[in-house]
Parts: sequence; structure tokens; C-alpha cells
Amino acid sequence: MKPDPARYVHGTDAPWDEFQVVGKPHRKVDGLAKATGEAVYADDIQLPGMLHAKTLRSPHPHARIRSVDTARAEALEGVHAVITGADLPTKYGVIPWTPDENALATDLVRFIGDEVAAVAAVDEDTANRALELIDVDYELLHAYLEPEESLERHDPAIHPDNKKGNISKHVELSFGEVDEALERAEAGELTLIEDDYTFHGTTHAPIEPHCAVARYSPDGLLTLWSSTQITHYVHRTLSAVLGLDPAKIRVVQPCLGGAFGGKSDPFSLEFCVALLAMRTGRPVKMLWTREEVFYAHRGRHPMKMHYKTAADAEGRVHAVDAKILIDGGSYSSFGLVTTYYSGQLLTGPYDFPAYRFDSTRVFTNKPPCGPKRGHGSVQPRFAFEVQLDEVAEAVGVDPIEIRRKNFQGEETETVNGQRITSNGFLECLARVEEASGWRERRGKLERGRGLGVAGSMYISGTNYPVYPNDMPQAGIQLKVDRSGVVTIFTGGNDIGQGSNSMVAYLVAEELGMDVAHVRVVAADTDLCPVDLGAYSSRVTFMVGNAAIDAARKLRAQIVEAVAEAWEVEPARVRLVGGRAIDLSDSERSIPTREAFQIAEVRFDTLGSTGSYNTPTLGGDYRGGTIGASPAYSFTAHVVEAVVDEETGRITVENCWIAHDCGRAINPMLVAGQMEGSAYMGIAEALMEEQEVNRFGLHRGPSLLDYTIPTSFDTPELHALIVESVDPEGPYGAKEAGEGPLHPSIPAISNAVYDAVGVRLRHLPFTPGRVLKELRAARESRAGESP
Amino acid sequence: MQNLRLNINGDSVEVGAPSHWTLCEVLRYRLGLTGTKQGCDKGDCGACTVLIDGRPVLSCIHLAALAEDKEVTTIEGLRPLHQAAGGEGCDPVQDSFDRCGALQCGFCQSGMILSAKALLDEVPVPTEEDARAALSGNLCRCTGYTQIFQAIERAACERAGLEPTKPAWAPESSEHEA
Amino acid sequence: MLRLPEFTLTRPESLDAALALLKEHGDAALPIAGGTDLVPNMKHGLFEPKMVVSLADVPELHGVEETADGGLRIGAMTTLASLAVHESVQRYPVLAQAASLIAGPQLREVGTLGGNVMLDTRCQWYNQTYFWRKALGYCLKKDGTECHVVKGGKKCVAAASNDTAPALMSLGAVLELAGPEGAREVTIDEFYVADGIVNRDVRQGELLVAVRIPAPAAGHRSAYGKLRTRGSIDFPLLGVACSFDLDAAGVIANADLVVTALQARPTRARKAIALLEGADTSGEGFEAVIAAVAAAARKQCHPLPNIPGDHEYRREMVPVYVTRTLRAALDEGGPVHHI
Ligand SMILES: Cc1cc2nc3c(=O)[nH]c(=O)nc-3n(C[C@H](O)[C@H](O)[C@H](O)COP(=O)(O)OP(=O)(O)OC[C@H]3O[C@@H](n4cnc5c(N)ncnc54)[C@H](O)[C@@H]3O)c2cc1C
Ligand code: SF4
Ligand code: FES
Ligand code: FES
Repeated sequence: MKPDPARYVHGTDAPWDEFQVVGKPHRKVDGLAKATGEAVYADDIQLPGMLHAKTLRSPHPHARIRSVDTARAEALEGVHAVITGADLPTKYGVIPWTPDENALATDLVRFIGDEVAAVAAVDEDTANRALELIDVDYELLHAYLEPEESLERHDPAIHPDNKKGNISKHVELSFGEVDEALERAEAGELTLIEDDYTFHGTTHAPIEPHCAVARYSPDGLLTLWSSTQITHYVHRTLSAVLGLDPAKIRVVQPCLGGAFGGKSDPFSLEFCVALLAMRTGRPVKMLWTREEVFYAHRGRHPMKMHYKTAADAEGRVHAVDAKILIDGGSYSSFGLVTTYYSGQLLTGPYDFPAYRFDSTRVFTNKPPCGPKRGHGSVQPRFAFEVQLDEVAEAVGVDPIEIRRKNFQGEETETVNGQRITSNGFLECLARVEEASGWRERRGKLERGRGLGVAGSMYISGTNYPVYPNDMPQAGIQLKVDRSGVVTIFTGGNDIGQGSNSMVAYLVAEELGMDVAHVRVVAADTDLCPVDLGAYSSRVTFMVGNAAIDAARKLRAQIVEAVAEAWEVEPARVRLVGGRAIDLSDSERSIPTREAFQIAEVRFDTLGSTGSYNTPTLGGDYRGGTIGASPAYSFTAHVVEAVVDEETGRITVENCWIAHDCGRAINPMLVAGQMEGSAYMGIAEALMEEQEVNRFGLHRGPSLLDYTIPTSFDTPELHALIVESVDPEGPYGAKEAGEGPLHPSIPAISNAVYDAVGVRLRHLPFTPGRVLKELRAARESRAGESP
Repeated sequence: MQNLRLNINGDSVEVGAPSHWTLCEVLRYRLGLTGTKQGCDKGDCGACTVLIDGRPVLSCIHLAALAEDKEVTTIEGLRPLHQAAGGEGCDPVQDSFDRCGALQCGFCQSGMILSAKALLDEVPVPTEEDARAALSGNLCRCTGYTQIFQAIERAACERAGLEPTKPAWAPESSEHEA
Repeated sequence: MLRLPEFTLTRPESLDAALALLKEHGDAALPIAGGTDLVPNMKHGLFEPKMVVSLADVPELHGVEETADGGLRIGAMTTLASLAVHESVQRYPVLAQAASLIAGPQLREVGTLGGNVMLDTRCQWYNQTYFWRKALGYCLKKDGTECHVVKGGKKCVAAASNDTAPALMSLGAVLELAGPEGAREVTIDEFYVADGIVNRDVRQGELLVAVRIPAPAAGHRSAYGKLRTRGSIDFPLLGVACSFDLDAAGVIANADLVVTALQARPTRARKAIALLEGADTSGEGFEAVIAAVAAAARKQCHPLPNIPGDHEYRREMVPVYVTRTLRAALDEGGPVHHI
């Protein structure tokens, strides 16, 4: 068993009186490299003799492969290797309990775009020509395009080995006396709101398409550079699928051009370039086209949700009951977790005395869904926050007030057994209430303009790794140079959120150094200690704690050595502003560099390691650990929306985002995460949709047809940072990269209600749908009036 | 295969490339100027933006051969050009993007910065509406654009000796200084 | 990356040389202006020329000049960015506005008026990658036998999607073409035909040299309205060009109303135009005229599910955009665009 409390919690105070680095807007450690084009992303890697690989994909949504003949392709001049499913038969999946993917299909293809074969050739043109020469004989099978059909039948099954037919995962959990509250509602003692809500599919669309490069050295070492956000899991999975000793594999994440959860599975291209490099003895690169990125997907699961909320006359929630059908697409990916998250993460920032959810994820013959920013919880949050507004209206309570009334408090436990520590939700509400002019404006604006509020909660890391083990979740190594430079080695994946900068700020803070003297080497399995990856908003919390842990150990050595050299008490030595100073003698101070040298004399070569592991947490029931997190972030948004009743177009003019990130290590980067999250939520509400057409073909796998907002389409975003100072976060910090997405979507629906009196319960809020709803509302009004 | 003579970042270079190669490909895979990014390869995203005779152009749908006799500026060119003109460090636009947090994953940013540069070369102190218009062909998936607008405003204000607006998140008391 | 077909690029330096190359290579050659439509289309395998003839260095295709009769002659190679801001073009608000709303800013720097006039029609079943179209089994417009928009349809109904086309139609533009058989002129009205495969009456080896627009009347009013999802980049989901002359008394003459992105050819809203003609904009009844115009346009305009999105919604937007564009023209405002 792992130790009970979190390993290495460091307190929330500044190491010396007040923070030198933390809390201030600093440059990023890689900012100028990115601004000047120097930063190296996966596709920027060019190796001598490198071959280019391409993937043959299934043109059918569901089919059995009778045979694949690669002879003609292999014979083509310039082709160096062709591989098929037979070459990579081991199944894998990011969640070890549900290994149902193959790098290349072995028997079945499950969606249009599923990978069948790969070719390495001298250039892309040749590789493409070779793909045309691969002969695949398919036996077409019935394609499931609607999740309801997958519930009803499973012949033919999408995954014949799956014991549950086309059901990927079913979770039913109940806490407290749900039926009792519903009965009271039935009897008229409580108000009951019951409705259906729909969340559509959306995808991450990072601007960088996936790319991987592999090299197989003569000494048998395989190096993979990949645009991944989970270096460590890719390392493990490569080893399993290729049957290679993990000690013979090195995985490196170069600079990453955006991910948002879309690069947190092991992907076909990683296995293919690896095997092709091994087969050919030459480096191999595969760069996906934008179209292929849409097939890889792993985006937001479409969900059909039915919610019931029972509340009393004051608006206090007594019970919530949810039934959710989740369209998983063709593979499991993180689906097991998604299914739990769809219920487990709703139990804050409000107190539910009773709660039940019944979630079913099914397979369909569409690109596989997975974790997108706010994994699994954005959809139920949408439904519930809209429903809570309906409750507020039914009982006549202001929508912000009802959220205050139901606030769960700090240092508490949720109905499903999750530990809540810091909780700044009330302050979040207060900030958006004030900044938006809520009291003066809500319900009083001209018709067509409205304000809407929503709140949310999200995890700061999952308490448990995807494969059970008791090793630390995050590790850090520090190396000290006589020049005065400290190099941080971290397994953390910087995906643009700035985690490399974050560790540099923390180490600089602990050692009283200039951030410019801290270097970061990250996400290289040969050089860096393991971190589990950039998912579930775990990096700041876990890697941050590990960084403080390592730096604090180093600091103790340096202070001790300097104190000894100065023949003073260690308490008199302070590292600050790039110097070691004697607190009692202002004359005595040396640059950090000298302090390092003194310490090196005293302790030999300097360095330290640090780590973090979670405390034992979670409810005492099957699945109770899923959704457990060492800390939760909280958010409230107010959205100001304008509805053009003639065109049905919703324009979000303002979005006030108040987010409790515990402590803002760099407020500028926190604000960037908040703005980026809100932008992404608003975008998926208004203009994005990942969908297939009647043939099972992706409707428009391009950045022209999948419309992500331009600079014109993005509202004024106002980031209001709330700092509740979490007892276990690094200096009190929690996550900021996912939580602030959640409320933007229901807040729009609620603002539209304020603007035009129409409840939007079904996403996306396209102008056409809004017009229909407006028309229906007019008709029902006309029907009511005599 | 043909030989192209291109003027890139002030250098005249000769490079062999097939005539069906785009400027984006030649820059990235022949000249090693990988600062120019590719996000869609068909004109939809703006990641591949370079300046041709000072104007922003999409290099992924621009045949390399059609850039002959023109001045091409890529992201790699800004700092050297700024230094050659007597400046220090990076181009002020690049610096401002870094100081305002506008660079998250950075993948859109070379295109974004070049579009911003073209705007600032044309309009001394652009309004936010000007910035929105000038960047409306450069998709960014990370930032929600807000810090990008702030970076442009800051670069313009610094040049003009004006005070940029304080971002919503910046505490009243503290100086917003990175 | 998306691959282009292997071709030779030539850069003729005169119109004659360009025409000679096109004649010599026939079907195997295609002209390229800014390439902003042709290059993506080639990357999708929609065109596979062996030779691409650049018009960049053909002097006859460049330049904007006012003609003797007070009209305007715009060289085919004029970029959309310069068109949108050119002083003389401002006399025709509908054209300047349409040009300013095409695609995004970088694209307008190189995309040309000629390329826009000659733009290929668009369809969700056609503007897709080679892999995608092959998985579909192609369609009538290219490599296939079936239309996926109109079941059993024998004719391609891909949408005219060029924003300048309706604007130029509403201005009575004339196209100057040059081909192997010499030069000819054709009104832009006659030029567009209702065939989505090629919706232009363009002959083998012919080039568009310039677009001529007659002088605007003293009371010329015009505006462009464009429906699209985003504030930039997107092709039109609906385009409305409205143009008329207003006399001193506020009476409309020479009205024109052209709607695009419906079917293969921009649609002239004849009934609506007839209602506008002679209408007194200062009179009490003008609101009713606008309503009747909008209703007539809606009746005539039938967007098909050719381009992406909800075609019923596009239809609903016809009267709204017609009304708004008409009002904008009258108020000397516009463009009508949600941003
Ligand atoms: C992301 C994106 C968004 C777009 N959005 C819009 C939009 O909103 N509205 C819109 O109208 N267009 C849009 N376009 C299409 C296109 O960019 C423009 O229409 C542009 O004007 C085309 O001009 P070009 O010079 O680049 O044409 P090219 O691509 O060079 O040529 C287009 C076609 O015309 C032919 N051609 C060009 N010039 C001549 C000539 N002088 N004589 C004979 N044939 C000629 C070419 O052979 C080719 O078939 C968009 C394109 C992209 C990639
Ligand atoms: S309308 Fe569309 S589907 Fe029909 S033939 Fe034309 S391009 Fe093909
Ligand atoms: S890569 Fe050129 S526009 Fe997207
Ligand atoms: S910073 Fe990542 S796409 Fe703009």
C-alpha cells in the first residue's frame, strides 16, 4: 500500500518571507524560442536518410478484412517497407483494462479512417503511390452510426471479444436517498425539474497535426520523437506492442503544438514509425494530414442526458438523478474513465444530499472519442447547470443566489466520498457577479441581450495512475552547475500550458535565483524521471510539488554549506535575488554561483531528486477512486450574450471567468489557460461539431469545415483569478487548464434564456436550432393565450 | 526539379525543388527554415503565414516558384533584420508576444507574429478591431486571442510612448511587467 | 502533407505567350493566378494538370483603370485586397464589400478577381480529399456517376461560391476574354450557366483578361450581404448583392438583386427586382415593398444541401439577408455581415 498522506506536501508559504518569483507575470522559459521560430516541433526534425511513412486507411465504417496483399506496393521503386496488422498483433489501450486497439487493423476495421497498413518510402509522393497499390479485400458489415442502435443490438459486434455486446462500459452508482426525495417531489413537497439534454461531439483541433519520428540505432536502441502528451505511457505501450525491452526504447516529446487531450493516447503512427525504422534501418517520419487528425479524434463524447433535480422552496437541492447514454465511437480509449467521470465529477461545488447516475458508453462505427479538455465532465456539467437555472426559476431564486445556497463548503466530503479541501467557489461567484454588473443588469437588459451564470468543479490530477503502482506520480531531478545554472529534469509534458516554465519558477523561488539561470529538460524518457503525463490537470499540482521537494533538499545543502563556510547559524543564510546573504550582516553576500561552489566543496557534486505521490483518497466502493483528486478547482462564469432573433445567431460579447486556481504561480499563464478554456467552450457551444454523414464519413475533416473561431469570433474574455491557497498544492496551487472550460457552455444557454426566454437544452446552439426554438416558444405562447 | 532563386530574409539563395512544391515545403524541408508551420496545408489556418514583400501570405498554397523575384520574410528573419537595423534582441513584436503570455503552444505564433508585424508596419497604433481584422486568417487554438491582442497593443504602445491597458487579471497594485 | 500532382510551372510574359502555351498543351494545362483555389483543389486531387501556366507576369492582366465612359476596367490579376480598398472601386460598394469579405486577409493578398470570377463550384461531397472522395465512391462532378445532393440527379448542382460574381452581375459587368480564336466579350450574366461541373461558359484555352463595369449612375446604391459561420475565412453560405439607382425623389430604378451559394449559378431574383423597380423609398408603403421583395426572393431561392450546413436555415436567411442588404444599400451602409 502506498503511504496514507500525500508524499511531500510542503506548505503554502513562501520559502523566505515573501515570494520573489511566484505570483508575478514572468516570461516563459521557451517563449522567445517559440516567438523566433527556433523551437523544434516533431515535424521540424529531419534526420539523415530519413524515410517518409503514410497510412492506408479503411474506406468502410465497418468491415472484416479478408486479406491484405502488399506485394505490388513493395515492388514499387522507392518503397522500403510495408507493414500490416499482422506485423503488430498485440492489442493495447491507454487504459490497461480495455486493450482493444491495434496499431494496424488485424481483422476488423471499425470506422472510416481506421488504420490498415503503413508504407515507408523515400518521399511522401512515393508512399502515397504505394498505398494505392495495396489490395485489401473487405467483407462489409453493418455499420452502427447511432448509439441507440448499439444499445439494442450487437450482431455483428464492433468488438466481438467484448462480453457486453456493443456496450463499452456501464456504471450505475447511487448515494443517499434518491428515491425518497423523488417521491417527495412526486407528492408535491419538493419541486422537480426533469428534462433531456444533448451534448454533441467536438474535437480538439490542435493546430499542430500529430507527427512521429523514429530512429533505430545500430546498438538496438529505438528512439521515438512524438507529439504526445504522455511520454511515459507511450514508452510502456511501445515496449508491449513491439515486444522490446523498455530499456531499449527512448521516447522524447519535442515542443508540442497543442493537444487538449487529443494527444494523450498512444497512436498508430508511433508504432508504425518505430517498426518501420526497425525494419529499414533508417529513420522514419510520419506526419498526419489534418484529415487524419480528425480520424484520430479522441474528442468530446456525444452524450444524451436525462436529468431530474428535486429541490425545496428555497432552492436547496435534495437529489439529482441522471441517466446518460455516451457515444464512444469505435474504441475504448479512456472510455472507462469517461463513463465514471460523467457521473463522479458532478458532486461539487454544490452539496447533493442524494445523487444517482446511470451511464452507459456504447461503441459505434465512428472515430473514437476520448478525453478532451474537461474530460467526461463538461457534458453533465452543461446539463446540470442549465437544469439548476430551471430550478432557480421554478422556485423564484436568483441564479447566482441558488448557487450560493447550495455551496458545499470547504474541507468537506462530497456525497460520493470525495475529499474537498480548498474551495474558492463563493469568491468566484462574487467576482463574476460584480464584474458583470449582475445585480443591476440581469433580467433588466433589453430583449435580445442577457446574462447567464454557471459554476463548476474539476480535478487537479487523478489520484491514481492508469496502471496501478505505488511509485511516485511525478519525479524531478536537479543538476547544479558551477556556472550558477540549475538544470531541471522533468518527465512533465509541456503542451503549451507552460509546465516547463512552472517548474522553473518554483525552483527559482526555492533557491532565490533568477529564472533565467534555470534550464529545463523535459519529457525525455532517457534523461528525465517519470511523470505520468499532461492529462487530468495533474501537472502543476504533482510536478510542481515534486519540484519544490527537490529544490528544498538542494536548498538545505547550499544553506548548510554556506553557513558552515561563514561560520554562522544556517538560519542566518538566505538565498535571494541570485545571491546568498547573511541576514545579520548586510555586508556579507555572495552570488548564488559561489554558494553552489561552496556547497560542491562540502557535499561533492550537487544534485537532488524530488517526487510527489497522492494521499489515499476516494469513496469506499467500486469506482470510488475514479474522480478522486488531491484537490479540486472551482470556477464560475457569467456570459453576456446577444441573440439576433431574425437570424438565430448568438453572439457572446463578454465572458467573465472567475477561477479558483489555489495560487497563481504565474498569473499571466493562469489567465491564458482561463481565456483559452473559455474560448474553447464557447466555440464548441456555438460553432463546432464533429459528426459523420449517412455513409459514416466525417462530415468535413478540415479546418475549413470544422469551424474553430477566428479572432473575430472570440468574445471579450475577462480572467478573474481567485486564490483559495490549497493546503496540499505547490505553494497552494491547483489546476487552471481545464476547469474554466466547463461553465462557459451552460452559461451561454442561461444567458440566452435571460435574453429571449428560450431554454437551449440541446447542443450545438447553431443559429438554425435557435430559430427553431424561438419559433416553438412563439407558437406555444400563441397556443396558451386564448 | 528546378533551381529556384529566392530572396529569403535578406539573402538570395538558390535551391533545387520540384515545381509542384509549395513555398512552405521549400522553406521547411529544403532550407531548414522550420519556423514556418503547417497546420492544414490548404489555406484554412494561417500557421504557414510568411511575408512576401511585406504582406502576409499563406505559404502552403503558394507555389515556391511564384515567390521568385520577391522578398520573403519568415519568422527566422525578424530578429536578424531587427538587429541589422541597429536594434537589440528580438523584434519588439516577438518580445511583446513573450511578455504578454501570447505564446502557449506556439504553433500558430510564427504566422500570428508575422501578421501582427505586417499590421504594425502599416498602422502605428492599431485598435483592437484592427488587430482582430488583421489576425482573422490566423487560427489559434490555445489562447482565445486575448493575450495576442494585448501583445499587439503593448508593442504599439511602447513604440508610441503610450500606456497599454491593464489586463483583467493583473492586480491593481502590481506592475504588469514580465 | 497533402501532395500536389507533379507539373511543370511556366511563367509566360505576355498574353500571347500564355495563350500559346495553353493552346499547345490543351487539357493538360491550367492557368494559375493567385492559386488560392487551384492549389487546394489540386491537393484534393480535383485537378491534375501536367502544366500550370502562371499569369503573374502577363502585363495585360494587371491594372485598374477608369474607362472613357466613366466605367471601370479591372485587370483579372488584381488582388482581392487591392480591389477592396481601391479608390475607384469604392464607387461600387457592392463589389468593394464583396471583395473585402472573401476568405481571410492573407488569402486576399494573393487571390485575384480573375480567379474569383473563374472559381470552381463547391459541394460538401466534392471539396474533400482524394481518400474521402474515394471512400464515398466519388460523385458526378468528378470521377463518379452519382449525385449525393439530388438523389438520381443527372446534373451537378454544386454551389457557385464566389462572392464577387453576384456583385459583378448586379453591376452589369462585362468580361473580356482572350482565347486561341481571338478576343471576345461576354456579359457576366451570360457567362455563368446552371451546370455545377463547370458553371462558366469558358472555352478551351481561354483566359479572362479584364472585367469591365459600366459607369455608376449618380444615385447608384449598392451593398453586399454575406452569411457565414465565422467572421472570416468561410465561403458564403449565402451571398446577396443588391444594386439600384435612386433618383432625387427617392425612387428606385435599374434595380438588381442577385443571390448566390444556392445552386450552380448565382440567381437573379426577378420577381423581387420587379417589385423594387419604381418603388418610392420615401413613401409610406416602402416597408411593405421590402417585405414583398423579401418574400419574393425567398420564393425563388432554393438553397440545396450542396455546401455544408443546414440548407433549410440558408433558405430561411434569404429574406432576412435580402432585407438587410437592401436597407444597407439604401443607407449607403454595408456590408451586411454578422461581424
Ligand atoms: C480557406 C479559403 C477560404 C476561401 N473563402 C472564399 C470566400 O469566402 N469567397 C470566395 O469567393 N472565395 C473564397 N475562396 C476561394 C479563392 O481563394 C478566391 O475565390 C480567390 O479569389 C481565387 O483567386 P485566385 O487568384 O487565387 O485563383 P486561382 O486559384 O489562381 O484560380 C482559380 C481558378 O480560376 C482559373 N483562373 C484564374 N485566373 C484566370 C484567368 N485570368 N483566366 C482564366 N482562368 C483563370 C484557374 O485556372 C482556376 O481554375 C477561399 C479559399 C480558401 C482556401
Ligand atoms: S452537386 Fe455535389 S454531389 Fe452532386 S454531382 Fe455536384 S459536386 Fe457531386
Ligand atoms: S498551413 Fe497554410 S493555411 Fe494552414
Ligand atoms: S498558441 Fe497554440 S495555437 Fe496559438
